[in-house]
Amino acid sequence: MSGAILTIGGVGHSFAGLRVLQSVDIAVPRGGLVGLIGPNGSGKTTLFNIVTGYLKPDTGSIVYEARALDGVPIQARSRAGLVRTFQTPKIFEQMSVLENVMVGCCKATQTGFIGDLIRSRTSRHQFQVMKETAEQACEKFGLTQILYNEARNTTAGQRRILELARATVGKPKLLLLDEPSAGLTPQEIEQLKDWIRRFNGEGISVLLVSHDMGLMNVVTTVHVLYFGGIIATGGMAEIQKNARVREVYLGV
Amino acid sequence: MRSAPRLLLLVAALIMWAVLPLFLARNLVDLLVFAGIFSIAGLGIGLLLGHCGIASLAQGMFYGLGAYASAYCSITFGAPAIVGFVIGLAVAAAIALLVGWPVLRLTGFFLALATLCLAVIGNAIFFEWDWLTGGSLGIGGIPKIQLFGFAFDTPGKYYYLVWILAFLCMRLGYQLVTSRNGLMMQAVRDSPDAALSLGIDIQAVRTRIFVLCSMFGSLAGSLFAHYTSFASVESFTIERSITFLLIPVIGGVSSVTGVIVGALFVIFVPELFSKLGDFHQILFGLALVFVVIVMPGGIVGAVRQLFAAGRRKAR
Repeated sequence: MSGAILTIGGVGHSFAGLRVLQSVDIAVPRGGLVGLIGPNGSGKTTLFNIVTGYLKPDTGSIVYEARALDGVPIQARSRAGLVRTFQTPKIFEQMSVLENVMVGCCKATQTGFIGDLIRSRTSRHQFQVMKETAEQACEKFGLTQILYNEARNTTAGQRRILELARATVGKPKLLLLDEPSAGLTPQEIEQLKDWIRRFNGEGISVLLVSHDMGLMNVVTTVHVLYFGGIIATGGMAEIQKNARVREVYLGV
Repeated sequence: MRSAPRLLLLVAALIMWAVLPLFLARNLVDLLVFAGIFSIAGLGIGLLLGHCGIASLAQGMFYGLGAYASAYCSITFGAPAIVGFVIGLAVAAAIALLVGWPVLRLTGFFLALATLCLAVIGNAIFFEWDWLTGGSLGIGGIPKIQLFGFAFDTPGKYYYLVWILAFLCMRLGYQLVTSRNGLMMQAVRDSPDAALSLGIDIQAVRTRIFVLCSMFGSLAGSLFAHYTSFASVESFTIERSITFLLIPVIGGVSSVTGVIVGALFVIFVPELFSKLGDFHQILFGLALVFVVIVMPGGIVGAVRQLFAAGRRKAR
Protein backbone atom coordinates (compact mmCIF):
# COMPACT_ATOMS: atom_id res chain seq x y z
CA MET A 1 0.00 0.00 0.00
CA SER A 2 2.88 2.37 -0.65
CA GLY A 3 0.79 4.34 -3.13
CA ALA A 4 -1.87 5.21 -0.54
CA ILE A 5 -2.04 8.70 0.97
CA LEU A 6 -4.58 7.51 3.54
CA THR A 7 -5.10 4.05 4.97
CA ILE A 8 -7.97 3.36 7.32
CA GLY A 9 -7.10 0.06 8.97
CA GLY A 10 -9.56 -2.00 11.01
CA VAL A 11 -11.33 1.01 12.50
CA GLY A 12 -14.10 0.20 14.96
CA HIS A 13 -16.14 2.53 17.14
CA SER A 14 -19.07 2.38 19.53
CA PHE A 15 -21.23 5.05 21.09
CA ALA A 16 -22.40 3.96 24.57
CA GLY A 17 -22.27 0.31 23.61
CA LEU A 18 -23.89 0.80 20.22
CA ARG A 19 -21.50 -0.51 17.59
CA VAL A 20 -21.32 2.11 14.84
CA LEU A 21 -18.24 0.95 12.98
CA GLN A 22 -16.73 -2.52 12.96
CA SER A 23 -13.33 -3.05 11.42
CA VAL A 24 -13.53 -0.75 8.41
CA ASP A 25 -10.65 -0.84 5.89
CA ILE A 26 -10.42 1.83 3.20
CA ALA A 27 -7.42 3.11 1.28
CA VAL A 28 -7.23 6.34 -0.68
CA PRO A 29 -4.48 6.18 -3.32
CA ARG A 30 -2.29 9.24 -3.84
CA GLY A 31 -4.14 11.45 -6.30
CA GLY A 32 -7.16 9.17 -6.07
CA LEU A 33 -10.83 9.99 -6.11
CA VAL A 34 -12.59 7.65 -3.71
CA GLY A 35 -16.22 7.61 -2.68
CA LEU A 36 -18.00 6.29 0.38
CA ILE A 37 -21.72 5.68 0.22
CA GLY A 38 -24.17 4.22 2.64
CA PRO A 39 -27.67 4.83 3.97
CA ASN A 40 -28.35 7.23 6.84
CA GLY A 41 -26.86 6.03 10.11
CA SER A 42 -24.40 3.69 8.46
CA GLY A 43 -21.45 5.43 10.15
CA LYS A 44 -20.11 7.60 7.34
CA THR A 45 -19.78 10.80 9.32
CA THR A 46 -18.40 8.92 12.33
CA LEU A 47 -15.67 7.52 10.11
CA PHE A 48 -15.01 11.03 8.84
CA ASN A 49 -14.73 12.39 12.35
CA ILE A 50 -12.26 9.64 13.20
CA VAL A 51 -10.07 10.30 10.17
CA THR A 52 -9.97 14.06 10.80
CA GLY A 53 -9.35 13.69 14.53
CA TYR A 54 -12.66 14.90 15.98
CA LEU A 55 -13.17 11.40 17.43
CA LYS A 56 -10.75 8.80 18.77
CA PRO A 57 -11.44 5.30 17.39
CA ASP A 58 -11.89 2.43 19.83
CA THR A 59 -9.83 0.13 17.63
CA GLY A 60 -7.81 0.35 14.46
CA SER A 61 -5.55 3.03 13.07
CA ILE A 62 -5.41 5.86 10.56
CA VAL A 63 -2.21 6.11 8.55
CA TYR A 64 -1.69 9.31 6.57
CA GLU A 65 1.42 9.89 4.47
CA ALA A 66 2.99 6.77 6.01
CA ARG A 67 2.52 8.22 9.50
CA ALA A 68 0.14 6.88 12.16
CA LEU A 69 -2.20 9.65 13.32
CA ASP A 70 -2.92 8.31 16.82
CA GLY A 71 -3.08 11.25 19.21
CA VAL A 72 -2.37 13.84 16.52
CA PRO A 73 -4.73 16.81 17.13
CA ILE A 74 -7.15 18.10 14.48
CA GLN A 75 -5.25 21.27 13.72
CA ALA A 76 -1.98 19.37 13.22
CA ARG A 77 -3.73 17.01 10.76
CA SER A 78 -5.05 20.03 8.90
CA ARG A 79 -1.60 21.59 8.78
CA ALA A 80 -0.26 18.32 7.37
CA GLY A 81 -2.74 18.70 4.51
CA LEU A 82 -5.68 16.59 5.65
CA VAL A 83 -8.66 18.95 5.42
CA ARG A 84 -12.39 18.34 5.69
CA THR A 85 -15.65 20.10 5.00
CA PHE A 86 -18.79 19.59 7.07
CA GLN A 87 -22.15 18.01 6.33
CA THR A 88 -23.76 21.32 7.32
CA PRO A 89 -21.30 23.98 6.15
CA LYS A 90 -19.60 25.57 9.15
CA ILE A 91 -18.75 29.02 7.94
CA PHE A 92 -17.70 32.00 10.02
CA GLU A 93 -21.08 33.73 10.08
CA GLN A 94 -20.08 37.17 11.33
CA MET A 95 -17.13 37.53 9.00
CA SER A 96 -17.16 38.57 5.34
CA VAL A 97 -16.80 36.04 2.53
CA LEU A 98 -13.27 37.25 1.85
CA GLU A 99 -12.32 37.00 5.54
CA ASN A 100 -13.69 33.46 5.64
CA VAL A 101 -11.35 32.45 2.85
CA MET A 102 -8.49 34.39 4.43
CA VAL A 103 -8.83 32.24 7.56
CA GLY A 104 -8.07 29.29 5.30
CA CYS A 105 -4.71 30.96 4.51
CA CYS A 106 -3.73 31.27 8.18
CA LYS A 107 -1.88 27.99 8.34
CA ALA A 108 0.24 28.86 5.34
CA THR A 109 1.35 32.17 6.86
CA GLN A 110 3.11 33.08 10.09
CA THR A 111 2.84 36.19 12.24
CA GLY A 112 3.53 36.75 15.94
CA PHE A 113 0.84 37.96 18.30
CA ILE A 114 2.94 40.94 19.38
CA GLY A 115 3.86 41.70 15.78
CA ASP A 116 0.17 41.81 14.91
CA LEU A 117 -0.54 43.97 17.97
CA ILE A 118 1.96 46.65 16.93
CA ARG A 119 1.30 46.03 13.20
CA SER A 120 4.88 45.20 12.30
CA ARG A 121 6.11 45.04 8.71
CA THR A 122 5.89 41.24 8.69
CA SER A 123 2.36 41.44 10.04
CA ARG A 124 1.24 43.85 7.31
CA HIS A 125 3.04 41.90 4.61
CA GLN A 126 1.60 38.52 5.61
CA PHE A 127 -1.88 40.00 5.87
CA GLN A 128 -1.53 41.38 2.35
CA VAL A 129 -0.35 37.97 1.11
CA MET A 130 -3.37 36.31 2.73
CA LYS A 131 -5.71 38.87 1.23
CA GLU A 132 -4.34 38.48 -2.29
CA THR A 133 -4.35 34.67 -2.09
CA ALA A 134 -7.92 34.71 -0.81
CA GLU A 135 -9.04 37.18 -3.50
CA GLN A 136 -7.61 34.94 -6.19
CA ALA A 137 -9.36 31.93 -4.71
CA CYS A 138 -12.66 33.83 -4.55
CA GLU A 139 -12.28 34.83 -8.17
CA LYS A 140 -11.60 31.22 -9.12
CA PHE A 141 -14.74 30.10 -7.30
CA GLY A 142 -16.90 32.93 -8.62
CA LEU A 143 -17.35 34.61 -5.24
CA THR A 144 -16.04 38.01 -6.36
CA GLN A 145 -19.53 39.55 -6.44
CA ILE A 146 -20.11 38.83 -2.74
CA LEU A 147 -16.55 39.35 -1.47
CA TYR A 148 -17.53 41.85 1.24
CA ASN A 149 -20.94 40.41 2.11
CA GLU A 150 -21.34 39.00 5.56
CA ALA A 151 -21.16 35.23 5.33
CA ARG A 152 -24.42 34.79 7.26
CA ASN A 153 -26.31 36.40 4.35
CA THR A 154 -25.16 33.89 1.73
CA THR A 155 -27.30 31.17 0.13
CA ALA A 156 -26.95 27.45 0.79
CA GLY A 157 -25.10 26.99 -2.50
CA GLN A 158 -22.73 29.87 -1.79
CA ARG A 159 -22.01 28.39 1.63
CA ARG A 160 -20.89 25.12 0.06
CA ILE A 161 -18.69 26.90 -2.43
CA LEU A 162 -17.33 29.18 0.29
CA GLU A 163 -16.43 26.20 2.43
CA LEU A 164 -14.70 24.53 -0.52
CA ALA A 165 -12.77 27.72 -1.34
CA ARG A 166 -11.75 28.06 2.30
CA ALA A 167 -10.64 24.42 2.53
CA THR A 168 -8.65 24.38 -0.72
CA VAL A 169 -6.95 27.77 -0.41
CA GLY A 170 -4.61 26.20 2.16
CA LYS A 171 -3.40 23.69 -0.45
CA PRO A 172 -4.56 20.41 1.10
CA LYS A 173 -3.16 17.06 -0.02
CA LEU A 174 -6.24 15.11 0.92
CA LEU A 175 -9.68 16.67 0.89
CA LEU A 176 -12.52 14.98 2.74
CA LEU A 177 -15.94 16.12 1.61
CA ASP A 178 -18.92 15.23 3.80
CA GLU A 179 -22.21 15.24 1.85
CA PRO A 180 -21.18 18.26 -0.24
CA SER A 181 -24.28 18.15 -2.44
CA ALA A 182 -26.89 18.35 0.34
CA GLY A 183 -29.19 21.32 -0.20
CA LEU A 184 -27.86 22.16 -3.68
CA THR A 185 -29.81 22.62 -6.91
CA PRO A 186 -29.12 20.20 -9.81
CA GLN A 187 -27.09 22.89 -11.62
CA GLU A 188 -25.05 23.52 -8.50
CA ILE A 189 -24.40 19.79 -8.17
CA GLU A 190 -23.06 19.70 -11.74
CA GLN A 191 -20.81 22.62 -10.87
CA LEU A 192 -19.69 20.83 -7.73
CA LYS A 193 -18.72 17.78 -9.79
CA ASP A 194 -16.59 20.01 -12.00
CA TRP A 195 -14.90 21.41 -8.94
CA ILE A 196 -14.15 17.97 -7.54
CA ARG A 197 -12.64 16.88 -10.87
CA ARG A 198 -10.61 20.06 -10.98
CA PHE A 199 -9.22 19.59 -7.46
CA ASN A 200 -8.30 16.05 -8.37
CA GLY A 201 -6.64 17.29 -11.54
CA GLU A 202 -4.56 19.66 -9.41
CA GLY A 203 -3.21 16.64 -7.51
CA ILE A 204 -5.48 16.74 -4.46
CA SER A 205 -6.66 13.30 -3.35
CA VAL A 206 -10.37 13.27 -2.51
CA LEU A 207 -12.48 11.13 -0.22
CA LEU A 208 -16.11 11.90 -0.91
CA VAL A 209 -18.94 10.86 1.37
CA SER A 210 -22.46 11.08 0.02
CA HIS A 211 -25.61 9.19 -0.64
CA ASP A 212 -26.21 11.19 -3.78
CA MET A 213 -25.71 8.62 -6.56
CA GLY A 214 -25.58 11.33 -9.22
CA LEU A 215 -22.66 13.02 -7.54
CA MET A 216 -20.92 9.70 -6.96
CA ASN A 217 -20.38 9.33 -10.71
CA VAL A 218 -17.23 11.43 -10.39
CA VAL A 219 -15.29 8.92 -8.29
CA THR A 220 -13.25 5.98 -9.54
CA THR A 221 -13.72 3.66 -6.58
CA VAL A 222 -16.72 3.41 -4.29
CA HIS A 223 -16.92 1.76 -0.89
CA VAL A 224 -20.35 0.89 0.42
CA LEU A 225 -20.80 1.19 4.16
CA TYR A 226 -23.74 -0.60 5.75
CA PHE A 227 -24.29 -0.83 9.50
CA GLY A 228 -20.66 -0.18 10.27
CA GLY A 229 -19.09 -2.54 7.76
CA ILE A 230 -17.91 -2.30 4.17
CA ILE A 231 -20.15 -4.59 2.12
CA ALA A 232 -18.85 -3.81 -1.36
CA THR A 233 -16.00 -2.05 -3.14
CA GLY A 234 -15.53 -1.24 -6.80
CA GLY A 235 -16.39 1.07 -9.68
CA MET A 236 -19.76 2.83 -9.66
CA ALA A 237 -21.19 0.68 -12.49
CA GLU A 238 -20.04 -2.47 -10.78
CA ILE A 239 -21.53 -1.37 -7.45
CA GLN A 240 -24.88 -0.58 -8.98
CA LYS A 241 -25.08 -4.15 -10.31
CA ASN A 242 -24.08 -5.70 -6.98
CA ALA A 243 -27.08 -7.66 -5.68
CA ARG A 244 -26.33 -7.13 -2.00
CA VAL A 245 -25.94 -3.37 -2.48
CA ARG A 246 -29.19 -3.18 -4.42
CA GLU A 247 -30.92 -5.04 -1.65
CA VAL A 248 -29.71 -3.02 1.34
CA TYR A 249 -29.12 0.33 -0.21
CA LEU A 250 -31.23 0.88 -3.26
CA GLY A 251 -34.10 -1.07 -1.78
CA VAL A 252 -34.69 -3.26 -4.84
CA MET B 1 -16.02 62.12 -0.48
CA ARG B 2 -16.98 60.41 2.73
CA SER B 3 -13.57 60.72 4.32
CA ALA B 4 -13.49 64.55 4.47
CA PRO B 5 -16.45 65.00 6.87
CA ARG B 6 -15.15 62.05 8.81
CA LEU B 7 -11.76 63.71 9.28
CA LEU B 8 -13.45 66.93 10.30
CA LEU B 9 -15.51 65.08 12.88
CA LEU B 10 -12.40 63.38 14.23
CA VAL B 11 -10.53 66.68 14.55
CA ALA B 12 -13.52 68.29 16.28
CA ALA B 13 -13.75 65.37 18.71
CA LEU B 14 -10.03 65.60 19.40
CA ILE B 15 -10.20 69.33 20.12
CA MET B 16 -13.17 68.79 22.38
CA TRP B 17 -11.33 66.02 24.18
CA ALA B 18 -8.28 68.27 24.66
CA VAL B 19 -10.11 71.34 26.02
CA LEU B 20 -12.81 69.54 27.97
CA PRO B 21 -11.04 69.40 31.35
CA LEU B 22 -10.33 73.14 31.19
CA PHE B 23 -14.03 73.98 31.32
CA LEU B 24 -15.49 71.21 33.43
CA ALA B 25 -15.92 71.20 37.18
CA ARG B 26 -13.31 69.22 39.07
CA ASN B 27 -15.71 66.43 40.06
CA LEU B 28 -16.67 65.88 36.41
CA VAL B 29 -13.02 65.70 35.34
CA ASP B 30 -12.61 63.20 38.14
CA LEU B 31 -15.36 61.05 36.64
CA LEU B 32 -13.82 61.34 33.18
CA VAL B 33 -10.53 60.02 34.57
CA PHE B 34 -12.37 56.99 35.95
CA ALA B 35 -14.13 56.53 32.62
CA GLY B 36 -10.71 56.43 30.93
CA ILE B 37 -9.39 53.88 33.42
CA PHE B 38 -12.52 51.76 33.05
CA SER B 39 -12.39 51.87 29.28
CA ILE B 40 -8.90 50.30 29.35
CA ALA B 41 -10.10 47.42 31.55
CA GLY B 42 -13.32 47.16 29.51
CA LEU B 43 -11.32 47.07 26.28
CA GLY B 44 -9.70 43.81 27.35
CA ILE B 45 -13.11 42.27 28.04
CA GLY B 46 -14.45 43.71 24.78
CA LEU B 47 -11.71 42.04 22.74
CA LEU B 48 -12.34 38.74 24.55
CA LEU B 49 -16.11 38.89 24.20
CA GLY B 50 -16.51 40.54 20.82
CA HIS B 51 -13.71 38.93 18.90
CA CYS B 52 -13.11 35.66 20.69
CA GLY B 53 -16.55 34.87 22.15
CA ILE B 54 -15.32 34.55 25.73
CA ALA B 55 -17.29 36.17 28.55
CA SER B 56 -14.87 36.80 31.41
CA LEU B 57 -15.83 37.89 34.90
CA ALA B 58 -12.24 37.80 36.12
CA GLN B 59 -11.19 41.29 35.07
CA GLY B 60 -11.77 42.72 38.57
CA MET B 61 -9.05 40.39 39.85
CA PHE B 62 -6.48 41.50 37.27
CA TYR B 63 -7.48 45.11 37.97
CA GLY B 64 -6.77 44.53 41.67
CA LEU B 65 -3.51 42.80 40.84
CA GLY B 66 -2.25 45.86 38.97
CA ALA B 67 -3.37 48.17 41.75
CA TYR B 68 -1.65 46.15 44.50
CA ALA B 69 1.52 45.73 42.44
CA SER B 70 1.73 49.50 42.05
CA ALA B 71 0.81 50.16 45.67
CA TYR B 72 3.27 47.62 47.10
CA CYS B 73 6.19 48.59 44.89
CA SER B 74 5.87 52.31 45.49
CA ILE B 75 5.13 52.10 49.23
CA THR B 76 7.40 49.23 50.37
CA PHE B 77 10.33 49.77 48.00
CA GLY B 78 9.79 53.42 47.17
CA ALA B 79 10.22 52.38 43.53
CA PRO B 80 9.23 54.73 40.70
CA ALA B 81 5.72 54.21 39.31
CA ILE B 82 6.90 52.45 36.16
CA VAL B 83 8.22 49.52 38.25
CA GLY B 84 4.79 48.87 39.72
CA PHE B 85 3.21 49.02 36.28
CA VAL B 86 5.68 46.55 34.80
CA ILE B 87 5.48 44.11 37.71
CA GLY B 88 1.68 44.28 37.66
CA LEU B 89 1.62 43.56 33.93
CA ALA B 90 4.08 40.67 34.29
CA VAL B 91 2.24 39.05 37.21
CA ALA B 92 -1.14 39.46 35.52
CA ALA B 93 0.17 37.90 32.31
CA ALA B 94 1.75 35.00 34.21
CA ILE B 95 -1.44 34.26 36.15
CA ALA B 96 -3.59 34.56 33.02
CA LEU B 97 -1.32 32.12 31.22
CA LEU B 98 -1.26 29.67 34.13
CA VAL B 99 -5.02 29.76 34.72
CA GLY B 100 -6.10 30.39 31.15
CA TRP B 101 -4.45 27.33 29.64
CA PRO B 102 -6.62 24.83 31.57
CA VAL B 103 -9.73 26.99 32.06
CA LEU B 104 -10.09 28.12 28.44
CA ARG B 105 -10.89 24.56 27.39
CA LEU B 106 -14.36 25.31 28.73
CA THR B 107 -16.87 27.25 26.66
CA GLY B 108 -19.97 29.38 27.16
CA PHE B 109 -21.58 29.45 30.59
CA PHE B 110 -19.06 27.04 32.10
CA LEU B 111 -16.22 29.30 31.13
CA ALA B 112 -18.04 32.36 32.46
CA LEU B 113 -18.58 30.50 35.76
CA ALA B 114 -14.92 29.50 35.92
CA THR B 115 -13.85 33.13 35.47
CA LEU B 116 -16.37 34.14 38.13
CA CYS B 117 -14.66 31.68 40.50
CA LEU B 118 -11.36 33.29 39.63
CA ALA B 119 -12.74 36.67 40.65
CA VAL B 120 -14.07 35.26 43.93
CA ILE B 121 -10.76 33.57 44.74
CA GLY B 122 -8.86 36.72 43.81
CA ASN B 123 -11.01 38.82 46.11
CA ALA B 124 -10.55 36.33 48.98
CA ILE B 125 -6.78 36.34 48.51
CA PHE B 126 -6.68 40.14 48.41
CA PHE B 127 -8.51 40.08 51.72
CA GLU B 128 -6.46 37.34 53.42
CA TRP B 129 -2.91 38.21 52.35
CA ASP B 130 -2.76 41.35 54.43
CA TRP B 131 1.07 41.36 54.48
CA LEU B 132 0.87 42.20 50.79
CA THR B 133 -2.43 44.00 50.35
CA GLY B 134 -3.10 45.49 53.75
CA GLY B 135 -6.21 43.30 54.03
CA SER B 136 -9.36 45.18 54.89
CA LEU B 137 -7.36 48.31 55.72
CA GLY B 138 -5.87 48.54 52.25
CA ILE B 139 -2.75 50.43 51.26
CA GLY B 140 -2.87 54.21 51.44
CA GLY B 141 -0.52 57.03 50.54
CA ILE B 142 0.40 55.80 47.08
CA PRO B 143 2.37 58.63 45.45
CA LYS B 144 1.32 60.39 42.25
CA ILE B 145 2.99 59.34 39.02
CA GLN B 146 6.14 61.31 38.18
CA LEU B 147 7.49 61.26 34.65
CA PHE B 148 10.77 63.10 33.94
CA GLY B 149 10.15 65.36 36.91
CA PHE B 150 6.59 66.13 35.84
CA ALA B 151 3.99 65.13 38.43
CA PHE B 152 0.50 64.07 37.35
CA ASP B 153 -0.95 65.46 40.55
CA THR B 154 -4.28 66.98 39.50
CA PRO B 155 -7.33 65.34 37.89
CA GLY B 156 -6.75 67.57 34.86
CA LYS B 157 -3.19 66.32 34.29
CA TYR B 158 -4.14 62.73 35.04
CA TYR B 159 -7.00 63.00 32.54
CA TYR B 160 -4.54 63.44 29.68
CA LEU B 161 -2.29 60.62 30.86
CA VAL B 162 -5.13 58.14 31.28
CA TRP B 163 -6.88 58.95 28.03
CA ILE B 164 -3.70 58.94 25.93
CA LEU B 165 -2.95 55.48 27.33
CA ALA B 166 -6.54 54.42 26.65
CA PHE B 167 -6.37 55.60 23.04
CA LEU B 168 -3.04 53.82 22.65
CA CYS B 169 -4.54 50.57 23.96
CA MET B 170 -7.51 50.93 21.62
CA ARG B 171 -5.14 51.50 18.72
CA LEU B 172 -3.31 48.27 19.65
CA GLY B 173 -6.62 46.46 19.98
CA TYR B 174 -7.76 47.72 16.60
CA GLN B 175 -4.50 46.67 14.98
CA LEU B 176 -4.84 43.23 16.52
CA VAL B 177 -8.41 42.58 15.39
CA THR B 178 -7.59 43.64 11.83
CA SER B 179 -4.58 41.30 11.60
CA ARG B 180 -3.98 37.63 10.95
CA ASN B 181 -4.30 36.83 14.66
CA GLY B 182 -7.52 38.87 14.73
CA LEU B 183 -8.96 36.75 11.92
CA MET B 184 -8.06 33.60 13.81
CA MET B 185 -9.75 34.95 16.95
CA GLN B 186 -12.95 35.68 15.06
CA ALA B 187 -12.84 32.28 13.39
CA VAL B 188 -12.61 30.63 16.81
CA ARG B 189 -15.56 32.75 17.97
CA ASP B 190 -17.80 31.87 15.01
CA SER B 191 -17.01 28.16 14.70
CA PRO B 192 -14.33 26.43 16.78
CA ASP B 193 -14.78 23.20 14.78
CA ALA B 194 -14.21 24.90 11.44
CA ALA B 195 -11.24 26.83 12.85
CA LEU B 196 -9.67 23.54 13.93
CA SER B 197 -10.28 22.03 10.51
CA LEU B 198 -8.31 24.93 9.00
CA GLY B 199 -5.31 24.23 11.20
CA ILE B 200 -5.90 26.88 13.88
CA ASP B 201 -4.78 26.01 17.40
CA ILE B 202 -7.85 27.39 19.15
CA GLN B 203 -6.43 26.84 22.62
CA ALA B 204 -3.38 28.97 21.84
CA VAL B 205 -5.51 31.69 20.24
CA ARG B 206 -7.81 31.87 23.26
CA THR B 207 -4.96 31.87 25.77
CA ARG B 208 -3.05 34.67 24.02
CA ILE B 209 -6.03 37.02 23.97
CA PHE B 210 -6.85 36.14 27.58
CA VAL B 211 -3.31 37.13 28.60
CA LEU B 212 -3.58 40.42 26.69
CA CYS B 213 -6.97 41.10 28.32
CA SER B 214 -5.52 40.54 31.79
CA MET B 215 -2.70 42.96 31.03
CA PHE B 216 -5.17 45.69 30.09
CA GLY B 217 -6.90 44.98 33.40
CA SER B 218 -3.65 45.29 35.32
CA LEU B 219 -2.71 48.53 33.55
CA ALA B 220 -6.08 50.01 34.49
CA GLY B 221 -5.59 48.87 38.10
CA SER B 222 -2.18 50.53 38.37
CA LEU B 223 -3.59 53.78 36.96
CA PHE B 224 -6.44 53.57 39.48
CA ALA B 225 -4.10 53.05 42.44
CA HIS B 226 -1.88 56.01 41.57
CA TYR B 227 -4.91 58.21 40.99
CA THR B 228 -6.84 57.54 44.18
CA SER B 229 -3.58 56.94 46.11
CA PHE B 230 -5.46 54.16 47.88
CA ALA B 231 -5.89 50.46 47.07
CA SER B 232 -8.53 48.63 49.04
CA VAL B 233 -10.15 45.25 48.66
CA GLU B 234 -13.53 47.03 48.31
CA SER B 235 -12.51 48.26 44.87
CA PHE B 236 -11.80 44.80 43.43
CA THR B 237 -15.01 42.91 44.08
CA ILE B 238 -17.27 40.88 41.81
CA GLU B 239 -19.34 44.02 41.15
CA ARG B 240 -16.29 45.61 39.57
CA SER B 241 -15.83 42.57 37.32
CA ILE B 242 -19.46 42.81 36.30
CA THR B 243 -19.06 46.52 35.54
CA PHE B 244 -16.11 45.71 33.28
CA LEU B 245 -18.18 43.09 31.47
CA LEU B 246 -21.01 45.60 31.04
CA ILE B 247 -18.77 48.19 29.40
CA PRO B 248 -18.32 46.39 26.04
CA VAL B 249 -21.87 45.00 26.17
CA ILE B 250 -23.35 48.49 26.50
CA GLY B 251 -20.91 50.16 24.13
CA GLY B 252 -21.05 47.44 21.49
CA VAL B 253 -18.63 44.56 21.15
CA SER B 254 -18.19 44.82 17.40
CA SER B 255 -16.31 48.10 17.66
CA VAL B 256 -13.10 48.68 19.58
CA THR B 257 -14.01 52.27 20.44
CA GLY B 258 -17.41 51.15 21.75
CA VAL B 259 -15.78 50.70 25.14
CA ILE B 260 -15.50 54.50 25.48
CA VAL B 261 -19.28 54.78 25.21
CA GLY B 262 -19.74 51.85 27.60
CA ALA B 263 -17.31 53.30 30.15
CA LEU B 264 -18.96 56.73 30.02
CA PHE B 265 -22.33 55.01 30.53
CA VAL B 266 -21.36 52.98 33.60
CA ILE B 267 -19.64 56.00 35.17
CA PHE B 268 -22.07 58.82 34.36
CA VAL B 269 -25.50 57.21 34.31
CA PRO B 270 -25.42 56.13 37.99
CA GLU B 271 -24.08 59.61 38.80
CA LEU B 272 -26.99 61.26 36.96
CA PHE B 273 -29.55 59.08 38.66
CA SER B 274 -27.99 59.48 42.12
CA LYS B 275 -29.60 62.92 42.35
CA LEU B 276 -32.98 61.26 42.15
CA GLY B 277 -32.62 59.64 45.54
CA ASP B 278 -32.97 56.07 46.71
CA PHE B 279 -34.20 54.71 43.41
CA HIS B 280 -30.99 55.33 41.51
CA GLN B 281 -29.81 51.71 41.66
CA ILE B 282 -33.09 50.51 40.21
CA LEU B 283 -33.03 53.20 37.53
CA PHE B 284 -29.51 52.21 36.53
CA GLY B 285 -30.66 48.60 36.32
CA LEU B 286 -33.59 49.59 34.15
CA ALA B 287 -31.35 51.68 31.88
CA LEU B 288 -29.10 48.64 31.50
CA VAL B 289 -31.94 46.31 30.63
CA PHE B 290 -33.24 48.89 28.16
CA VAL B 291 -29.89 49.17 26.35
CA VAL B 292 -29.33 45.43 26.22
CA ILE B 293 -32.82 44.63 24.92
CA VAL B 294 -33.33 47.56 22.54
CA MET B 295 -29.76 47.67 21.25
CA PRO B 296 -28.34 44.16 21.01
CA GLY B 297 -25.31 45.56 19.17
CA GLY B 298 -24.68 48.06 21.97
CA ILE B 299 -24.99 51.82 21.62
CA VAL B 300 -22.37 52.00 18.87
CA GLY B 301 -24.11 49.19 16.99
CA ALA B 302 -27.44 51.03 17.21
CA VAL B 303 -25.93 54.31 15.97
CA ARG B 304 -24.29 52.51 13.06
CA GLN B 305 -27.61 50.93 12.12
CA LEU B 306 -29.25 54.34 12.24
CA PHE B 307 -26.63 55.77 9.88
CA ALA B 308 -26.92 52.80 7.54
CA ALA B 309 -30.70 53.27 7.44
CA GLY B 310 -30.25 56.99 6.75
CA ARG B 311 -27.88 56.26 3.88
CA ARG B 312 -30.35 53.81 2.36
CA LYS B 313 -33.10 56.43 2.54
CA ALA B 314 -30.89 59.10 0.98
CA ARG B 315 -30.24 56.88 -2.03
